[in-house]
Order: sequence, then C-alpha cells, then structure tokens
Amino acid sequence: MLEDIIKAYKEAVYETDKEAAFEVVYAALAEGVSAEDIVFKVVIPAVEELMSGINKDPDANLAQHFMTAQIAAVVTEKMLEKFQHPPELIGRIVIGTASGDLHTLGKRIVMGCLKALMVETIDLGVNVPAHRFVDEAVAHDAQVIAISAMMVHTATGEHGARGVRKLLRERGLEDRIKIVVGGAPYRFDSELYKTVGADAWAADGVSAGKVIVDLIKEVKSS
Amino acid sequence: MTAERADPSIRVTLTVRTEGVTSHLRVPAGTSVRDALDTTELRVRAACGGTGSCGACVVRWLHGEVNPLALAEYQKLDVEERAQGLRLACQLRLGGDTEILLNNPAPPSQWKSIPAEDLVAPSGKLPNLEQHIYGLAVDLGTTHIRVALWDRKRGKRIAARRGPNPQVSYGVDVLNRLNAVQTHPERAAELARLARTAIIQAVRDILNRDVGEVTPMLAEIGQVIVVGNTAMLALLTEQGGDALIAPENWQQAVDCQPHDHAAWQAQWYMPNATIGMPATIAGFVGSDLIADLIATDFTSGPAGSLLLDVGTNTEIALWDGRTLHVTSVPGGPAFEGGGIRFGMPADPGAICRVRPVAGGYACETIGGSEARGICGSGLVDAVSVLLVAGIIKPSGRFVVPSGEEGYRLDAANPRSAIGGSDVDAFQRAKAAMSAAMAVLLKRAGMVWADLRRVCVCGAFGHTLDIAHAQAVGLLPDIDPNFIELYADATLAGCERALLTDGGDALFSAMTDKVQAINLSLVKGYDDIYIDHLRLRPVPPIE
Repeated sequence: MLEDIIKAYKEAVYETDKEAAFEVVYAALAEGVSAEDIVFKVVIPAVEELMSGINKDPDANLAQHFMTAQIAAVVTEKMLEKFQHPPELIGRIVIGTASGDLHTLGKRIVMGCLKALMVETIDLGVNVPAHRFVDEAVAHDAQVIAISAMMVHTATGEHGARGVRKLLRERGLEDRIKIVVGGAPYRFDSELYKTVGADAWAADGVSAGKVIVDLIKEVKSS
Repeated sequence: MTAERADPSIRVTLTVRTEGVTSHLRVPAGTSVRDALDTTELRVRAACGGTGSCGACVVRWLHGEVNPLALAEYQKLDVEERAQGLRLACQLRLGGDTEILLNNPAPPSQWKSIPAEDLVAPSGKLPNLEQHIYGLAVDLGTTHIRVALWDRKRGKRIAARRGPNPQVSYGVDVLNRLNAVQTHPERAAELARLARTAIIQAVRDILNRDVGEVTPMLAEIGQVIVVGNTAMLALLTEQGGDALIAPENWQQAVDCQPHDHAAWQAQWYMPNATIGMPATIAGFVGSDLIADLIATDFTSGPAGSLLLDVGTNTEIALWDGRTLHVTSVPGGPAFEGGGIRFGMPADPGAICRVRPVAGGYACETIGGSEARGICGSGLVDAVSVLLVAGIIKPSGRFVVPSGEEGYRLDAANPRSAIGGSDVDAFQRAKAAMSAAMAVLLKRAGMVWADLRRVCVCGAFGHTLDIAHAQAVGLLPDIDPNFIELYADATLAGCERALLTDGGDALFSAMTDKVQAINLSLVKGYDDIYIDHLRLRPVPPIE
C-alpha cells in the first residue's frame, strides 16, 4: 500500500500539483498511515530524489523547483501537526538575506526543503545586519548561519557574509557555527563563497538542503 | 476600391526592393509609403512633415494599385521622371498589394515612428501660448525611449519616435546599471550622457525628417517633460543613482530634478525650454506609472480598477475608490523578449500572435514579414495554445522534452521555437505579476470578482490575446470586456501634462492618493508567487 502512496505522491510532485499531493496524503491518513510514515517514508525520499536529480536535469526549470519545494514544506507542516511525539530534529539554523538585500525567494525555497528534512529554521527576515546573524545563532544554539544574497554588492559587501565571518572569528565561534551562502552572484563565480569567508555554498535552494545538512553533521561530529 | 478611399481595416502588402534586398510589410490600406516605412529600419529620405514640399522621398512605383499623382508630385517630379514611375513616398498611398523600388534610402537610424494606432489624442484645454510654442514629451524606459514633439498652441503632434535606450550596454536591467554607477562612480556621467544624447538625437530625427530645420526649432521648444522609473530618472540626472541601491531609500520619493538646468538647456540647444521631471513615488515606483494613470483617467473610473505597466519591472496600481495602492514587481524581461531563446521586442518580424490551425499553428508577425523571433504577446499565445494542445503541462514541462532546438511553432522556421527554459521564464514573469495583483487586492479587501476595469499598458501593446492570457493565469479570469489594452500610455500621459495648463497638477493629483507597497516586506508573498507559477487561471485570493 505504501508503495502506491509513494508512487502517487511522486507523480503529484512531478506534476507540481499541490492539491493532488494533499489528496494523496489525506487519503493515506484516512487509510491509517501515520503522519510520521508520510513524512519519513513518502515526503523525505521525494525531497532527496529531487535534490539528487536537480544537478542532472539539463533543462532545469526553476518554476518547477519552487513549486515542488513548496509542496514538500506545506505537506510536512501539516503532517507535523499530527505527529504523536515531536519529531527528532537533525539540527537548527538561522537564515536571512544579507544586509542591503530584500530578495526573499531563495530563502523561502531553502526553508521549505529544510523543514521537510527535519532541520529547524529560524527566519531572520530580510536586510539582516551581520551582528544579528551571529547574535541569533548563539541565542538559538544554531549550527549554521545561512545567508542569501542576490546582488553582487550584497554578496561581497562588508556587512554580509564577510562581516559575519569577522564576528565569528572575533568571538571564537568558528568551530561551533558554520556559514553557508547562496544566490545568483555565487553561481556566476563558484569560488566567490571562499572570498567572502563562507564554509560552503549551494547553487539553488533545493541543493542548499543537502549542503546545510552536511554542515550540521560536521559541526555536531566535531 | 481606390487608394484615396481605402478601407484601413483591410491590410495590404507593401513589397520594397532596395540595394538587392526585398522586404515585405503588412499595413492598413490607404497608408502612405513613407508612413509605412517610417515604422521600420528602412526609411525614405525626408525633410518635411510628409506634405510633399521637400521632394526628398522619391521612390519608383513598380506595380500594384495606388492613388493617382498628387499636385505636389507634379511640382517636384518632371515629365520624364513621372513617366519612369517615380513618385513621392509621402504622397503615394496603397490601394492594394504594391511593389516599389527604393534606390537611396535614408541612412540607418535607431529611431522609428510610433505607429499612429498606438498613439492617443490628448483632450482638454490647450495652454495659452504666445512664444516657444513647441513642447517635448519623453518616456524614458529601461529598454526603450519614446519622445513626442508637439505644437502646444495648436494641439498638434508633429511626430513621435521610439528607439533603444543606449544604457543597455551597462546592463539590460535597472540593477546592473545602478551597480555600474556604485562600483565605478565615474560611469555616472557616462550613463547620464548616453540617455541625454539619445533623447536629443530622437528630437533631431523628428526635426530633420518632419520639419526640415533643426537648431531654430530647438530654440522654439518651451517645455520638456520627462517621465520614467525612478532609477532611470536618477541615472539621467546623476542624482542618487548609487543611493537607490540601499533598501532604506526604496520607500521614499527620490529627487530627480536636473541640478544644472542651464547646462541641460545648452547641451540640448533648447535655451528657452523648462526641463522638468514630475516627482516619483518611491525608489521602486516611478513617474511612468503616474503618467499611465493620467492617460487612462484612472481615478475617474470605478472602484476595483487595476492598471499594469508590463515590463522587466512591472508596475501595478489598484484603485479602490479612495486609495491608489501601487507596487512594482521584478518579473524579469520575458515579456520584452529578454531571456527567451528567440525572444525579441515587439519590432517588425516578431511573432505577436499564434493561433491553432489544422495541422499546426499560424504565426502572425509584426509588419507581416518572416518571423525573426517572438515578442511578449506571441509568447503568451504560444504557451497558451501549447497548453491546450497538451504539448506542455500545467507544471510547465513539455510532455515530450523539446530538446536543444525547442518546439517549433512553424515547422519551417527554426526561429519560431519555444523551449523548456522559455516556458520557465514565462511562468516566473507571469506569476510575479499576478501574485502582485493578488497582494494589492488583498490589501484593499477585494477579490478578483470585484474588478471592474483592468488597463494593460506596456510591453504587450495591442496584440495581447486576452483569453489566452487568462487561461494561463497572466490576467484575472473576469469579463474580458473589463480589460483594456494600451500601447503607449506612458507617453500619452506625459503628452497630456504637456498640453494642459499647469500639467504638474495632474501628477500631484494622482500621487496624493498613492500608497506604495514594497512586496519584499509583505509576509507570505513568496508563497503567493509560487501558487501562481502553474499554468492555469489565477487561483482564488485567500
């Protein structure tokens, strides 16, 4: 039975049909499948498949990625409400767009994927100053600071990732907190993330999920 | 049918042979050869307003139904020339399909006449003027510049031109140009110079071709009004271009007046002109939107009126009877042909309409010539008909991958192809636009069904198919009779201000009612945007 549900759910996600995805999930619940099984056996494998497939798709369609990531997020959100026990989280991150930047979409996609991957995300919003990224990461005991920047000057500016790196170094937090960056400028120059002092970058919101999960594991194992 | 009393609803083909090249143009019957060619890159020589007085526009008629020789042609052409079939292009009117030879075309120019059907005749009381009676309206767009020169005393448009904004060499979008100024402050002067030079070149083109004298006429220009988005005006006036990049400055009006008025007058050889830029609304909403609102008498319309100025940035206004809710959304350049493999602006040769026919699709191009690419309205049609035909799915995916070449709408023409990335760019542009509309309606406590009027201005011109736009969720699914298309509303609004006593008041009457909304700060906007990405009629407002 679960196999049929997985197949039907994947089909709905492939067609980017949010309503159909919810129909599949609610039909499964009605048949007695647990919310936990839906998240861990249906939604998460679909997200992981999406993440591994995104780099192989030669005609990568951003609109479809946005829609599928949103479906994963909203389905997970609804299912979490029905969990018997709070789910075990992999880790916690703070996320925001760099100082001077108001572009929110990339952040939204990353948050959607992370939600489905059981990573708690604390959204600091847009135009976030460097010190606030660090203060909030410390306050929430987050393993990763994720900084989105869609413009060259916000990606490379002193008040963005560079500023966060400087503060982490000054406060001796570099082993406890990692920096990940994303956004158009990093796609044009795949070495730029190093220049601005980040530990990692991701080419798109979906791939960012995997990069962030790996960073969390790195921090936790050290 | 005779050429003098031709029915303009009938379109005829003008074939032009010049320097070994043959081109075709579809125009309304009764059009003069000069007017037909003035909208293209191939123009006749001219030094008068098409009155037959300069005699520069000589062409040879080869065959086809045309009007008899006019008086001016008897005066300018001798017996032998007339016997050879020579005619004046401004006097030669098309009654049916016609072929001509153009031996000595005008040197190539970036500036083309704006087709008469795209222009609006302003109404109202003319200013009472004794001197410097000419006036210039300028719509400074990110991609195109449009200008119109007026005799303000008589209320007569001398001519209007459209040409590219040369600043595109510093970036096709606003942000790249602002970046160029921020990282290299010395470029500010260069960007300003490019735009100012382009404007005066357009005016010179009009004076050369439609009046016949330049410098004395420039001195007779008494007023210049420039409208545009805030960034373009800031770059034009070298004021605050770098500051505009900071979010703190997006919410407030930016001063874009020329700081050295006398220097501008000198540079433009317009010693008697008052050069002014009506105030912008905010860093992200310019005076171009206000000009649209003026041209459409927007606030005189019913509550539940929506106006879109479609472009790389689409500006939107909603009138709820008391407040003008306005915003701007960066949907990307897809509707202007940018980021689309064979995308192009709405210029001759652009596929502007696509219809399903037996065994394929009929592609109509601007000017009727062979398809060179596809413009915004053609893209809307293409996506819509391919969706209906089951070639692409609501997700935007091609059922059978379209491959590197893309899917050809016209099997014989590789430049009629649409690919997966084109559909993607279309989806993102249309979702940005319709999600922004949804946010404004929600702000005003309204839903789609409350709309009574939708004015679509900008990139689509007159060729947008409303039913197709509704089917893919680009326009709201309301009574199509409520939807109006405007080709050059921004210029029309600017012209209205130019021809009205105290025209500035028209702008301030609108800005007084405005409430600007920055979508970046609207919680949940991204999710609304994603909900609008699917190819289907607009989802309900929740």
